[in-house]
Amino acid sequence: MTEVQVSPEVSEFTEVHRHPEPKSFWSKYIFSVDHKVIGIQYLLLAVVAVFVGMALSLLVRLRLILPDYPLPLLGTVFPIGAPNGVMTPEFYLAMLTMHGTVMVFMVLTTAPQGGFGNYFLPIQIGAADMAFPRLNMLSFWTTLVSFLLLMAAFFVEGGAPISGWTGYPPLSAVPEATVQGLGQDLWLLSIAVFCIASLLGALNFIVTTLDLRAKGLTMMRLPLTCWTWFVTAILGLLAFGVLLAAGVLLLMDRNAGTSFFVPGGLVVSDKQIDHSGGSPILWQHLFWFFGHPEVYIAILPGMGVTSHVLSTFARKTIFGYKAMVYAVLAIGGLGFVVWGHHMFVSGMSPYSAFVFSVLTMCIGVPSAIKTFNWIGTMWGGRIRFTSPMLYSIGFVSLFVSGGLSGIFLGQPTIDLYFHDTYFVVAHFHLIMGVAAIFGMFAGLTFWFPKMFGRFMSETQSKIHFWATFAGVYLIFGPMHYLGMLPHPRRYAEITGVDYLEQGGAEGLHAFITAAAILTVLAQFLFLYNFVKSIYAGKEAKGRNPWEATTLEWAIPSPPPHDNFGGKVPHVYRGPYDFSLKGAKRDFAMQCNDDKAVFPRPEAASGD
Amino acid sequence: MPAVLTPARSVPVASEGGAGGIVDIPPVDGDGGRRPHGRDRTTERYKLGVWIGMGGILMFFAALTSAMVVRQGLSGDWKAFSLPPVLYVSTLVLLLSSVTVERARREVEGGSSDGLRRWMNVTAALGAAFVACQLMGWQSLSERGLFLASNPANSFYYVLTAGHGLHLLGGIAVMAYIWARLRSSRPWPTRGPVVEATALYWHFLDALWIYVLGLLLIWR
Repeated sequence: MTEVQVSPEVSEFTEVHRHPEPKSFWSKYIFSVDHKVIGIQYLLLAVVAVFVGMALSLLVRLRLILPDYPLPLLGTVFPIGAPNGVMTPEFYLAMLTMHGTVMVFMVLTTAPQGGFGNYFLPIQIGAADMAFPRLNMLSFWTTLVSFLLLMAAFFVEGGAPISGWTGYPPLSAVPEATVQGLGQDLWLLSIAVFCIASLLGALNFIVTTLDLRAKGLTMMRLPLTCWTWFVTAILGLLAFGVLLAAGVLLLMDRNAGTSFFVPGGLVVSDKQIDHSGGSPILWQHLFWFFGHPEVYIAILPGMGVTSHVLSTFARKTIFGYKAMVYAVLAIGGLGFVVWGHHMFVSGMSPYSAFVFSVLTMCIGVPSAIKTFNWIGTMWGGRIRFTSPMLYSIGFVSLFVSGGLSGIFLGQPTIDLYFHDTYFVVAHFHLIMGVAAIFGMFAGLTFWFPKMFGRFMSETQSKIHFWATFAGVYLIFGPMHYLGMLPHPRRYAEITGVDYLEQGGAEGLHAFITAAAILTVLAQFLFLYNFVKSIYAGKEAKGRNPWEATTLEWAIPSPPPHDNFGGKVPHVYRGPYDFSLKGAKRDFAMQCNDDKAVFPRPEAASGD
Repeated sequence: MPAVLTPARSVPVASEGGAGGIVDIPPVDGDGGRRPHGRDRTTERYKLGVWIGMGGILMFFAALTSAMVVRQGLSGDWKAFSLPPVLYVSTLVLLLSSVTVERARREVEGGSSDGLRRWMNVTAALGAAFVACQLMGWQSLSERGLFLASNPANSFYYVLTAGHGLHLLGGIAVMAYIWARLRSSRPWPTRGPVVEATALYWHFLDALWIYVLGLLLIWR
């Protein structure tokens, strides 16, 4: 068959989306408009960023336990921040700030959405590409510029900024307060550029999901991965504009003499600062109005992958598909009305705190729905313990552990005690950092055969899983206890108090640092596994080695340039049809009609 | 009339295991969630993109609005000032440009390239005139000694007008692109969608300016 009869509407659809297959190296791999290449570019950026972020966290951990120990090489690279290899307290804060910024923006925001979402959203909905391929390319390159601006902050006079990833003024707003003048400006510029990139990306994801779905793929037949990418994009669209506005105002406070965030009467180093009437709390409101949805931007795609993988390897349809969709929507919606719980100690009215607290507790409901549905999905399933499955189960575990401490912190009375202690560090690392990263591990091992036509090594992945899973609990578990002492966060060293010493903080810090070193080492195993498997991994036979159901498994691995060869697939059923009664085999792909699934032809699906 | 397409490459149709994979495209009618026949899907998609983009832009201005309201209420250093009268001229110019861009948009359906180009150019010129008026507004303020950092009331005036102006310059840049494409002899299949989306965006900028002006009048 060489010709396909299509309706006029479909011809329009296909015509616009078919961009010719690129021939040169530059147009194919560098300035590509193909969503798959752009997805991999995002993933590679995130891989670079995650190793930078990890190195920074190691420096932070080393400074905590060996404040006076001269580290080799460090003094050469950072002669001012670490003279003779001994890190100054300011350098510690700079590493802390950059660790948070790199991880939150360049890893947790880019990889799940820009990486996996870019690669698999169009394929899972049966499209040839994103709605606006050139805009997609622009999003990636803008993100890269943002990353480079951020990295440049290390190497300018004064070095990287020290005001934390939240950039609280007045520290971030008054250049006289720190020596990190240009570094802080570059940081703000990088964040502003990142906001623009994310807004463009979000727009593209939303239009793609709404407009390019294949025939028969109704919203309630979307894979849960697509739902989470879609809702994440909506969160990004509504949140990043606010951060951009705040960032612009802060840049002006620093460079144009305005007083949006800088209060009057401020004295720094015996010098009166020439500002009046601004409000640092205003920055906090704007920042956290973005910052809380940002948490869900990081974690929602992980939830989608986890749902997808658990259902596939439990060989059971997802427990409560509709409830899962509504839970994602509820989490996304509630995420915009709870920002005040980051500011309980900012002097807000107890009545406001009460409202924010109650709304925060409400998030526990959809989160619990998701958790129970994941367990319900696995319950009684014929579980295949592949590495993506292990990572997904790990995600559920970390999500529960990190979520439970959130219930403590969401209550103003308890938060007054725990605020700015290691308890908070433990909480957000488990739920936002590590759980989301486990979602990425699950996604990468699950989709690797589709992306590269080969498997990652199961043995190495499993070793990596157990080492990392144990490692992160050994790192962040004891931090809950440190927080109870209460050990404040963000200090390079605390002297002149004995409650920390009596509580055994010093020994615990050494233990945590040791666990962190081991966990970081395990990541090199994963990197090795990833790189080596691209060209030497076990070949993935056929298109659907995991026996999964969604559209990406109906096309060759790796997928051809325009995904479906210029055709438009038709979807007949929901995304998780496993173990159907009377079916020929234990799964039915979304593009299988009833004739292909059941031995005898039956009436049209009532789905 | 059904169009006939030749697949770009032959991707085998069936998945392994005997089950059907990618299937031939059936007729579109009666399909859940699709648009009715006869609508130009590309135009709809481009316009949807603009609608979604408006959401992001609105959040940017909503953040500035809330910052302005909070900042004014917090401290006693807010000094109200009278808006430069040239803003009313610029408002009229922008409203007029919405009429001309609508005129250009209707030329797309008629298919007159000349008419389209003429009305687009008029719109872009009016847009440039608007920007010039806004700059005169800035100048008139600075002549009164009201600079960006003089007072938070002035700061917000400059930030809001600059924010709106930059979005408007983006619109003018797209019009320059349209002008260049209309001059070139290369085929331009997405001409209609681009013009429709640009017109929608331009109307949005018009409405956004009315909002900004109202905000500056009420909260000054």
